[in-house]
Amino acid sequence: MNVIETRSLNKHFGDLHVLKGADLTVAEGEVVAIIGPSGSGKSTLLRCLNFLEIPDEGSQVLLDGEPIDPQHDDLNKVRERMGMVFQHFHLFPHKNVINNITIAPENVKGVPRSEAKAKARDLLEKVGLPDKEKAWPSQLSGGQKQRVAIARALAMDPEIMLFDEVTSALDPELVAEVLQVVKDLAAGGMTMVMVTHEMGFAREVADRVIMMDEGMIIEEGEPSEFFTNPSEERTQAFLSQVLHA
Amino acid sequence: MFSSLWVVIDSHFYGFLKATGVTLQLTAVSLALAVLIGLVFAFFKLSRNPVANLVANAYIGIVRGTPLIVLLMFLYFGISSIVLLSSFWAGSLALAIHAGAYVAEIFRGAIQSIDHGQHEAARSLGMSRRTAMRLIILPQSFRRAIPPLGNQFIIGLKDSSLVAFLGVSEIYSTAMTAAAANFLPFETYLVAGLYYLVLVLIFTVLVHKLEIKLAPDRRAAT
Ligand SMILES: Nc1ncnc2c1ncn2[C@@H]1O[C@H](COP(=O)(O)OP(=O)(O)OP(=O)(O)O)[C@@H](O)[C@H]1O
Ligand SMILES: [Mg+2]
Repeated sequence: MNVIETRSLNKHFGDLHVLKGADLTVAEGEVVAIIGPSGSGKSTLLRCLNFLEIPDEGSQVLLDGEPIDPQHDDLNKVRERMGMVFQHFHLFPHKNVINNITIAPENVKGVPRSEAKAKARDLLEKVGLPDKEKAWPSQLSGGQKQRVAIARALAMDPEIMLFDEVTSALDPELVAEVLQVVKDLAAGGMTMVMVTHEMGFAREVADRVIMMDEGMIIEEGEPSEFFTNPSEERTQAFLSQVLHA
Repeated sequence: MFSSLWVVIDSHFYGFLKATGVTLQLTAVSLALAVLIGLVFAFFKLSRNPVANLVANAYIGIVRGTPLIVLLMFLYFGISSIVLLSSFWAGSLALAIHAGAYVAEIFRGAIQSIDHGQHEAARSLGMSRRTAMRLIILPQSFRRAIPPLGNQFIIGLKDSSLVAFLGVSEIYSTAMTAAAANFLPFETYLVAGLYYLVLVLIFTVLVHKLEIKLAPDRRAAT
């Protein structure tokens, strides 16, 4: 069963043609890593999956096999089913850690406060921050913020998690703690799509790696094969560039 | 001078005290209304509806482009030709319409200053546009608006003195009347000035307290 699938996904920003017919499928429990040069459309692809960007007409996005119609379907309901973690965390600075995590379940799903709190505490435990529930975002390190952001997304019980370069804004020594949380999620069977520049991590965690260039998926494959023996010239060039940087 | 100053303070103590009450009421009523007006027009300005934009721009443009005393007289005679209002209420309304334009710009600026990522994070969690505005954007905007709003409130407190020309017995009009009677205009206006100064100082402290209260993370950090 595919949790998410896109068919001839196109996206224009004005005259700029950013996505040119991307076909992506993600099976349940699968971890897909998207790599590619800056500006190739990785973030846009991810943001089209949960309709933070509305794809061009004629594009199809299917969730659990159901096509989503951005004109008529309730996109808020669609987004509830997908968690997203951003490069720059975007924690809510006026809420403390536990309320960052409970605010959506309480106000979107109507989960009772006590239940939402209990769940938030479980999640904080899971991401290794059980003692931070009363802290404010401004008091956390980047790595801690990102782990709270992951917990916040998980609190909605998403069917799939979308990660957009979640370690790119972190100091090098804080990257590992966040990647560990993502790894744990993968081991727990979470379906995930992650845009990443961490090739070693993609190789270790992903079931499939996708290479994007100029708005198209130009190659995809199982990591060991993909990284040792890429078939496309552009993939070879990109990999040699990032791996020897 | 000091003895005559004392005479003014002493002999008009009750009058100024009462007038201070009126000034505070004028300020409170007009600024409360101004906040409501300001919120509505801030949303009009941010709206995607061109008619709403036009209405907001016209309102803000007119208020900004006219002296308060002209607006005050115009509205006073305009309002009182339609409905019979006491000069207190007509004055409050006119002050509110004036301050509302500035408050609208303060709110608009505060809302726009919130990082778009906040909105996206809220939406990615399934919040509607409206819920995201109410739970995520507005609370942060209010917090950010407090310092400029406090500033605007101080201006509003002082602007309330112009309502003296509508015959409302607030601090300034009390001073005018007293000075005409006691032939000590210098001392009398000095005293009136001190009353305003004390009110502004008290107000400044209150705004600062509110700012701290609305910024719990900063309070926790220090
Ligand atoms: N909201 C927008 N409006 C206009 N152009 C946009 C917008 N978002 C993205 N773009 C453009 O679309 C192209 C693809 O951007 P995207 O962010 O998807 O790239 P990316 O692969 O994620 O790059 P990076 O690795 O730098 O994050 C870029 O040329 C970018 O400038
Ligand atoms: Mg990107």
